[in-house]
Amino acid sequence: MLKKDLNLRSPIEKIIGIDNISSSNFGAVLSRAGVGKTRFLVQIALTQLLRAEKIVHVSLEDSMGKINLRYNEGYTNLVDSIGYVDPQKALRLWEDLNLNKVGISYNEASFDTTKIKDYLKSFKKAQLPMPAIMIIDGLNFDEDVTEVLEELKSLNQEFAISIWFAMLSHRDEALGRDGYPVQLETRQKLFDKAVFLQPVNNKIQAIVLKDGDNTNQKFLLEPATMMLVEENI
Amino acid sequence: MIRDLKRVRNIGISAHIDSGKTTLTERVLFYTDRIHKINEVRGKDGTGAVMDSMDLERERGITIASAATYCEWKKHNINIIDTPGHVDFTVEVERSLRVLDGVVLILCSVSGVQSQSITVDQQMKRYEVPCIAFVNKCDRSGANPAKVARQLKDKLGHNSVLMQLPIGLEDRHEGVIDLVAMKAYYFEGEHGERVAVKDIPENMRNQAQEARDEMIDAASLFSEELTDAILEESNISDDMIKKAIRTGVLARHITPVFLGSAYKNKAVQPLLDAVIDYLPTPLDINNEAIDLDNNEECVVLESSFDKPTVALAFKLEDGQYGQLTYLRVYQGCIAKGDTLINSRDGKKVKAGRLIRMHASQMEEVEEIPAGHIGAMFGIDCASGDTFVSPSINYSMLAMHVMEPVISLSIVPKDNKAQINMSKALNRFTKEDPTFKTYVDHETGDTIIQGMGELHLEVYVERMKREYQAEVTTGKPRVAYRETITQKALFNYTHKKQTGGAGQFGRVAGFVEPCEEEFEFVNKITGGRIPTQYIPACEKGFQSCMAKGPKLEFPVTGIRVTIDDGAYHAVDSSEMAFQAAARGAFLEAYGKARPVIKEPIMKVVIETPNEFQGSCMGLINQRRGIIQGSQEEGVMSVIESQVPLSEMFGFSTILRSATQGKAQFTMEFSSYKQVPQSIAEDIIRQKQEEKKA
Repeated sequence: MLKKDLNLRSPIEKIIGIDNISSSNFGAVLSRAGVGKTRFLVQIALTQLLRAEKIVHVSLEDSMGKINLRYNEGYTNLVDSIGYVDPQKALRLWEDLNLNKVGISYNEASFDTTKIKDYLKSFKKAQLPMPAIMIIDGLNFDEDVTEVLEELKSLNQEFAISIWFAMLSHRDEALGRDGYPVQLETRQKLFDKAVFLQPVNNKIQAIVLKDGDNTNQKFLLEPATMMLVEENI
Repeated sequence: MIRDLKRVRNIGISAHIDSGKTTLTERVLFYTDRIHKINEVRGKDGTGAVMDSMDLERERGITIASAATYCEWKKHNINIIDTPGHVDFTVEVERSLRVLDGVVLILCSVSGVQSQSITVDQQMKRYEVPCIAFVNKCDRSGANPAKVARQLKDKLGHNSVLMQLPIGLEDRHEGVIDLVAMKAYYFEGEHGERVAVKDIPENMRNQAQEARDEMIDAASLFSEELTDAILEESNISDDMIKKAIRTGVLARHITPVFLGSAYKNKAVQPLLDAVIDYLPTPLDINNEAIDLDNNEECVVLESSFDKPTVALAFKLEDGQYGQLTYLRVYQGCIAKGDTLINSRDGKKVKAGRLIRMHASQMEEVEEIPAGHIGAMFGIDCASGDTFVSPSINYSMLAMHVMEPVISLSIVPKDNKAQINMSKALNRFTKEDPTFKTYVDHETGDTIIQGMGELHLEVYVERMKREYQAEVTTGKPRVAYRETITQKALFNYTHKKQTGGAGQFGRVAGFVEPCEEEFEFVNKITGGRIPTQYIPACEKGFQSCMAKGPKLEFPVTGIRVTIDDGAYHAVDSSEMAFQAAARGAFLEAYGKARPVIKEPIMKVVIETPNEFQGSCMGLINQRRGIIQGSQEEGVMSVIESQVPLSEMFGFSTILRSATQGKAQFTMEFSSYKQVPQSIAEDIIRQKQEEKKA
């Protein structure tokens, strides 16, 4: 029951659609620094955890402790958005969900997809259900990451795991010819989903940049919690 | 033994396995003239370190039992307990911490804060033991003591402050800069025994000044005098800084960090100075006992020699002259011939030979005064017993002891081995409260229980070496538990009429899951069951907890509530109600959806980065749940929870998967329900065993 309520409150349900997330190949959440890419990605991951799916969160910036903290916060925000929830019930559910979450912290310099591949292979070997999505936070898209993206693409195909990236854009950069931030513009063929976040009047505006028929839909989010304030604006 | 307690320190040396504890202790003993030759761990020179007194320890390069020793440094008596580094032996660490006043926490300058350091730190917090840190192995490739000091802050929450700076690192590590004296220390001579005090190298002056300012800033929180001196920009004396840091250490609010390399004989002497300068004397520590004659009220013990004696036996060893009991005297004084009472069983004992230990060599003493650690011969007692003067009846507070999670059946090879085995088991169970043994009445096997595979392995090995008891071991067994998952009603009548007095008792109520091991709630009203039979009902229910009806594993987490019943004026008896309770339990248990629970271990793997993926894979293949992974320099730390039943032989598997470069620690975390498919396997196995 609580799970269902939480899914209904999830901002992701409205902006991307929960089913839509795991059916994607490559997704990206773009914004300038400090707007809330990671918090948004955590909400994406939480929707999968609430469906009893496994998720892997890879960060090249945050420590393992910080990743866990972000998930605790994301879950608390989601629970608080319902109103009153029995704290014991919420805690028990979190303990269950937490078992399906793996946070991996890498140094950016030593990040290597073969380690992830080894890890994913072990699921197959042990005949365990595969993680539904993988979040990659902190990859520097201002540099040439073609090779890493190609390797991740092959993981996406081999293990049927959708991969969502945090993509940092810059305030002073002009948009590309197709109207995307340059970090996405040059790689747009790889990504089938993309959401852009930008601050507007003390709120965060989420614009769907790429998602079939939903493209160009706009939503308003609460900056502290990433909870939905207004949809289809 | 020194009677001026200001010149006594009782310290422990705690750390993660392979951080160099034993090497450091060895150097300490060398510099304090207790030994005249340095032996390396793992017996490179065929001798082995002095502190590792058991053969097995020397062979494996780990310290299993704490060896106690004392030494003298600058007219101070330092009693040292060398503690084991493996998690399986943490009861040893806990027992040591109980009797120590301060700890030197050793950290590896390459690996930094590791899982065992976290466990040890938690134990230090539990017993409120002040500590100073020593970042060892600064000569190793990849050494980074500043990072380790930061980890102390981030991972363990210590307010760490560097007291020294290294002069060169890795193979260029030459010495240290003392930030209090603002001098550079170099260590000369074959074993670094001559400390050369020189000026700080020109190129490090600014860096040293900055680090000193930071250190003084941190220390000023604990001394108004120092704060005033900073504000008034007046002269800051060394004593002022030391006093401030000492105050912070005693309150556990600051952790001064020292550096060096014990193996390369660098900076051990300044560490000894720090032990004296910053770690507490027995007078600084508040020790408490409970007064058994006065409602178990807490009594503060005074380190006075004239007061009645209170001493704690914290370790036993079997030597050629009989049982050697290590004691810490908290109050009064134990002298040869004194009569003492063991407050656990009230037995009188007479203090015979008193000694103080230097690893395996002993030195006879006339008395062990309050504040000191010593040992006594010829007393039969268990570890954790309190010895007091006949005029008082105190007990030191109970030590936190964990329940064993793994068991192993052992069969002696012949008759002689059988006799020796029982001697050995008798000794080991007295020495180690986490090691238990019993005889399985159904199979007739002797079962030993402990905290991990290695824990039991070491005892089996010790049986062979110390007691010549050759035993064959069975497959390790996991300590499963049974519990219920839903509420179920019972209404059971025990009625028997077979000639003579009959038996009658009816109990009704319900069982439900709960957090506690066992709870009994009496809601009988109107005398439906007379009050005198209620304890018999409780006893009846409780007797069913030892062996669960499902698979005969111990039952936990059950609340029994009785709210109705009936009795017969003639035929009811305590026995009848006990039998009724047992019947009621069986009736309700099956309906309450019983399940099997298994011990889940917290497993932390430390592996070179390149093997991170495959190590995570190993956990996945063992029904493990990875909680996270973190890269720290060249190493990755993987935290996970894995069922104990899947961890047998894991060390071999991990070694082969990582070319022997990874290590892991494991400790009990919680009991969790076994998945259905595994439960079916356990049931099948149990049935086969029964048939056999």
